[in-house]
Amino acid sequence: MRIVFYTGKGGVGKSTIAAASAWQLSRTRRVLIVSLDPAHNLGDIFRVTLGKGDKRFNENLVLREIDLKKLSRNYLEREISVLSGTYKYLQAFNLDRYFSVLKYSPGIEEYALLTSIDETIRGGKDFDYIVFDTPPTGLTLRFLALPQVTMAWIDRLIQIRKQILEKRYTIQKIMRPLKEGENNPEVRLDYTEEGDEVLQRLRFLNENYQGLSRILRSEQCGFVLVFNPDLLSLRESERIVEGLRDLKLPLRLLIDNKVTEENRETAAKAEEELRTATGGVPVERVLLSGMLGGEKGLYEIPEDLVSILH
Amino acid sequence: MSTTIIVILGFLIYAILYFTYGKKIERDVVKASDEIEAPSKRLYDGIDYVPAHRVVLFGHHFSSIAGAGPIIGPALAMCWGWLPALLWVWLGNIFIGAVHDYLALMASMRYDGKSVQFVASDLISKRTGTAFYWIVFFLLVLVVAAFATVIAGMFAKTPEIAGASIYVTVVAVLLGYLIYKVKMNLPVATVIGIALLAGAIWLGTITPVPAKFETWLVVQFFYIIIAAAIPVTILLQPRDYLNSWLLYFGIFIGFAAAIFTFRGIEIPLFSEFSPVLIGGKQTPFWPAIPLIVACGSLSGFHSLVASGTSSKQIAKESDGLFIGYGAMFTEGFLSTIVICAIAGFGFTALKTAAAAGNVPFALDHSNWGALFTKTSETLKLSQANLVVQTYADMVAASFLAFIPAKIVKVIAGLWISAFALTTLDTTNRIARYCLVEMLAPVKNAAGGLYNIVTNRWIASLVPAMLGIYLAWSKQFTIVWPAFGAANQLIASIALMTGAAFVAKKLKSKFAVMATVPAWFLWFTVTAAIIWFMIVVMPDNIAKAPGQGWTVQVIMGIMLLLNLLFIFDFFKMGKEIRKSAAGESVDEKKSETA
Amino acid sequence: MGLNLLDILKRFFQDVHRTQRESLVALTCVELRELENIFALLLLGSFAGFSAPPTFLSLELLPYMERELRIMNRQAENSGDMLAELMGTLGID
Repeated sequence: MRIVFYTGKGGVGKSTIAAASAWQLSRTRRVLIVSLDPAHNLGDIFRVTLGKGDKRFNENLVLREIDLKKLSRNYLEREISVLSGTYKYLQAFNLDRYFSVLKYSPGIEEYALLTSIDETIRGGKDFDYIVFDTPPTGLTLRFLALPQVTMAWIDRLIQIRKQILEKRYTIQKIMRPLKEGENNPEVRLDYTEEGDEVLQRLRFLNENYQGLSRILRSEQCGFVLVFNPDLLSLRESERIVEGLRDLKLPLRLLIDNKVTEENRETAAKAEEELRTATGGVPVERVLLSGMLGGEKGLYEIPEDLVSILH
Repeated sequence: MSTTIIVILGFLIYAILYFTYGKKIERDVVKASDEIEAPSKRLYDGIDYVPAHRVVLFGHHFSSIAGAGPIIGPALAMCWGWLPALLWVWLGNIFIGAVHDYLALMASMRYDGKSVQFVASDLISKRTGTAFYWIVFFLLVLVVAAFATVIAGMFAKTPEIAGASIYVTVVAVLLGYLIYKVKMNLPVATVIGIALLAGAIWLGTITPVPAKFETWLVVQFFYIIIAAAIPVTILLQPRDYLNSWLLYFGIFIGFAAAIFTFRGIEIPLFSEFSPVLIGGKQTPFWPAIPLIVACGSLSGFHSLVASGTSSKQIAKESDGLFIGYGAMFTEGFLSTIVICAIAGFGFTALKTAAAAGNVPFALDHSNWGALFTKTSETLKLSQANLVVQTYADMVAASFLAFIPAKIVKVIAGLWISAFALTTLDTTNRIARYCLVEMLAPVKNAAGGLYNIVTNRWIASLVPAMLGIYLAWSKQFTIVWPAFGAANQLIASIALMTGAAFVAKKLKSKFAVMATVPAWFLWFTVTAAIIWFMIVVMPDNIAKAPGQGWTVQVIMGIMLLLNLLFIFDFFKMGKEIRKSAAGESVDEKKSETA
Repeated sequence: MGLNLLDILKRFFQDVHRTQRESLVALTCVELRELENIFALLLLGSFAGFSAPPTFLSLELLPYMERELRIMNRQAENSGDMLAELMGTLGID
């Protein structure tokens, strides 16, 4: 199974290119295309209505749209109900007040993004290719950086948690003969690593992120950068290139989209610059004319977008 | 008059007054009632607020307050003869000291287990609460100075004790490893620990470690810094554990020896009112005695210990007397045994030492007041050394004479040094904390300075350096009473707080049982500090200007804090009277309505 | 009468036994409490304005942290009154 991410500034035609690539890939392989872009263009491009679940477009191609905002909201609601059920001292802590703030907390959307990508990859064994149409740059880079940040925190928290468990074990070992046969009203403290839910959860999260990190940086995975032949797009693209490099994420293809007679020169210059900036990643040019559709779907673009990826 | 009689008399006096005077305080002053739920139950959280069985809590509390203090003070106080010191240990304890401990405990209980510092800042003034950090900090510096001197003096005089102490430190580290890392079964580890302890004692007697007084001071400086920086499970906790076994053993032997020795008292009953003691000056019994005999009779530390952890763990209010009052009595009893040892064997010990060292011996009952302190210092048989010697002699004179004298001496010395060394470790940790709290106000104004001083290493160095510096001057008779003064200043504030609690919050009719000792104590401590600063210090500043001025400045700061405190106390008193007047007016109004 | 004495002695030694064990763990208990406090603070820092792990991490772990939250709340109240407790647990003379 291979994974391809389509990134780029908003409005460069990323969604259309991603859709077209998915279409081309589906000629010979089984493909799942997932749209994470809040603009929800996927249905329009394939001229179908997309609901909550998957829509099978044809034998080889499945469409999926993920609503990040809804996902975030659901996640929060679920967590809040779990918390309300667990805590006996809810009132004392006024936890309700804390939760209303959560709606605005940074990071929830990134997390929702991360989990949905993770789940998609896990559940995508039936496909040869999973194509992701990512949200605009900022969010994408932030979310891609997330595993690193999270793992640093998780590492630290695991360390402290282990210290806590070690001390509990010491106390338990020394006090144990007294506790036996005693009516101890206190809740039993977990002092073993297996028994401590917090540590288990942290470990689980850690493994997930490690796994995801590995996949994102492996041969299986590739990033495609879509840009337009204009300076603004070029600058933004250079930022994305840098970001991907810092995160050690593999950039495999550059697509110069919406090239016309008028901007041909700029296009060439932009391509040259990006090719240098990326150390020689191949560029594919897509003409604007090809994008205007017609009887065929918007997804049927003449240029070959995918041979590089095989 | 013999040691046996003193011991039995002491026991009887404590026991009788516990059940009469103590119970009266419980009933009429504090009005302790088991109907009022103790914080350990009301605020139960399984962590800090956990009710404990009274005997267990007594053990905790007693071992927290017991240490080297009740042993050293009486040794110095012998210059007045044996009776004055004994009366202070008995009566001072019963009417002032134990009352102080008990009130701190009970007031804290009624305040949800908050410390006496918190109660003071609530009842009297916020300034008073903050003053605690300052006074305790200087108190700890002086503790370092005093105890470092004691240890260095003991080690220099009896190198066997030094050797044993070093080996015991190693044993403690090993024991810590077994208990906390290997998590060995505790009884097994204990047996191993005690066996190794015995081994260390024996080893100490055959491999003494001779060194000079100053050398030991330097060694202790590094010890303090390192010990206070490492995790508590490596040295502090296991050492504390070994100490407690040593304590039980030492008390048991001492008690048995004191009772069954039937030794006549050989030092004078009363020498004079102002013998030579502090800083080589004539020291009036009043107001100086609380400065000399602290822990066995009255000690400010105890109020903090009682209100720090004990109050959160008492199961019911009626346990308070046993723990607060009772533990203090037990410590007084410990001091009684020490006094017996010195009273019965001190004179002989000094005479023997003089003969052995070929030193002219002019001390006798007629000039006791003038010469005791000087003689014992010259013969290196003062404070701890005197106790070690006489304790060994006392055991040797009893049915326990089968234990070799050398071993008994090492045990006695080890007892003192083990507790003192642990105290040095903990004082540094707490002093670090106090320093940070003291400097909190300047955090914003002088951020750079704040960051430097509150750095963990600097904050550790400051009290250690100050303490060792003061010890360097070898003026124990200055450092010890200075420590006593700071300690009793805390006691004074704590007792006044307790009295204020009883009068203001409880409005009990018998509040005089608290307020009279409180005022008496306050006057005594204030007079003592002023006397100390005016009469004693000037000559000593001339002798050792650096240390002298340091002590003088510290005393000055404490006097200032003391005066601020009493000013706030009066202000509070005025408010009570105002509100009382307002209340009686309201009562009249409601009556007529 | 003899039985009573034996009982008393037995009780006495049991109590000594218990006291010793509790002293041994006293400081470790304090350390444990503080570590749990820190753990809770780190995770919930975002609610109080500190820099904190990504919020979802806190959310993921919150359901299991009732005890730590209780400690954190208790400590928030008591942290201004630590001097006496330090002296009690460290056992100053």
